[in-house]
Amino acid sequence: MENKLPSFLLDQPSPVSFKQGKGRIKMGFLEEGIHHLAQLIKKGYVQWELSSGSGLFQKIDARVKVLFLLFFVIIVNLKRDLLSELYIGGFIFSLALLSRIRIVTFYSRVLFLGFFLGFLIAFPSAFNVITNGEMVGPVIRFSKPINFWIYHIPAEVGITREGIYGVIRLTLRVINSLSLSFLVLYTTPFSEILRALKVLKVPDTFIIIITLCFKYIFIFSKTAEDMHLSKKSRMVREATHAEAREWIAGRVAFIFMKTRLRYEEVFKAMIGRGFSDTIKLYGFPKMRTGDCYAGTFLLFTGVFFLFI
Amino acid sequence: MHIPDGYLGPQTYVPLYGVSIIFWSIAQKKLKKQLSLKHVPYLGMAAAFSFLIMMFNIPVPGGTTGHAVGAGIIAILLGPWTAVIAVSVVLIIQAILFGDGGITAIGANCFNMAVVMPFISYGSFKLIKGRAESGKRMTVAAFFSGYIGLTAAALFTAVEFGIQPLIATGVDGRPLYAPYPLSVAVPIMLIQHLVLFGIAEGLVTLLLLKYFLKHERDLVYAIADPSGNK
Repeated sequence: MENKLPSFLLDQPSPVSFKQGKGRIKMGFLEEGIHHLAQLIKKGYVQWELSSGSGLFQKIDARVKVLFLLFFVIIVNLKRDLLSELYIGGFIFSLALLSRIRIVTFYSRVLFLGFFLGFLIAFPSAFNVITNGEMVGPVIRFSKPINFWIYHIPAEVGITREGIYGVIRLTLRVINSLSLSFLVLYTTPFSEILRALKVLKVPDTFIIIITLCFKYIFIFSKTAEDMHLSKKSRMVREATHAEAREWIAGRVAFIFMKTRLRYEEVFKAMIGRGFSDTIKLYGFPKMRTGDCYAGTFLLFTGVFFLFI
Repeated sequence: MHIPDGYLGPQTYVPLYGVSIIFWSIAQKKLKKQLSLKHVPYLGMAAAFSFLIMMFNIPVPGGTTGHAVGAGIIAILLGPWTAVIAVSVVLIIQAILFGDGGITAIGANCFNMAVVMPFISYGSFKLIKGRAESGKRMTVAAFFSGYIGLTAAALFTAVEFGIQPLIATGVDGRPLYAPYPLSVAVPIMLIQHLVLFGIAEGLVTLLLLKYFLKHERDLVYAIADPSGNK
């Protein structure tokens, strides 16, 4: 799959020689911004390529997968015990295996985000300052409890059993929710996911706006990257903060004008093809028997998880 | 500020989905009336621009860099109702494609960043700017529109987090979702945004608006429409 990626995504950014200090800056922040843009395009490619694979989930109708995602995310968020979360996590793992997703790539992304969005945010609540309970890991001891305004800090501050339980539950919830999202994303083309939103009664107009935005983002991400590379190739001296800010503000304005021009062109093309403000997406074909079986299986599995 | 799945209970995320749907419907009707045939490609463009603004890191005084949430500057450049749709579309794409914000929390995230922030930013910009067309007052208005808008959005997010231990507890009385009470969530979120992120947002809003006022003044909605009734 790697050799199908465009070369500009595979190139490592070249080191830059701008100095820092006294109003002179490194170009690192620009590199970082452009890196984000390149990553964005790369993720789009990877998602597109993975979703066209031939695993279990790739064969299922997008409508079934969107309903599965919504149903299971709600279940994951309703469950209160760790064991249920672990069972659901195991079920998602087996679905990912059967879908022939690259497990290491998949879980490195899930666990990375899960660590930041789940564990790190929740971790301070493991202390008895937030969650009272049985102390399992004392950290600091004061001579007496501290009280100020509405806050109370006990004489002994540490991690509680109940606090750890809460942190693990939140972390598992975040990881399971992310796994579900990425499982559907990695096995379904984004355009199909958007079209499948029709089953949730999302208006066609809104789906078209999201689709257009998605297409524009990829076009203009490449434009932004090109602008940066052309600027970098013409730079012969250090940039000051003020120059850098002026340049970025100018590029954002330029993108704004480009997007306006593009929208005018798209609008003219739509009019040219007979657009009359009536948006109607083509419906999906009738669901196959296999999709119905898959949907029923996922529904019953979800109900099972809901009641265990 | 993107709320992930698992931090809000259904008592919070379901009503916030409802509120966001109401705002989306109103925005959709208003823009369809104003722009007629053009509203679909226009909103697609606005959303893409909103997404791209968030991708640009800008150096701010102090040696660090920051990027805007962008809802404030989008509201000033394109109008608050356009910002409601544009920023919502971006948040939906971020949640589905990048795992940035939860699926169940899309309604809450859209309410905080695509409803509260654009309207507060736009309102504070118009209020502070008054009749000024340039000068220091305009500069102050641009900065505070971003600063106040982001801080208000952070306050709403903090309240949504902070009420969880009050409204969603288990049989043992312990919180089932976000564990931090209002007395912790509100000060932490507010302090972060008052002293750091709000300033970065204000500076980015000011910087972009200054450029537009200097070079493309006619494109700025909040200037082109002095009554603000659009």
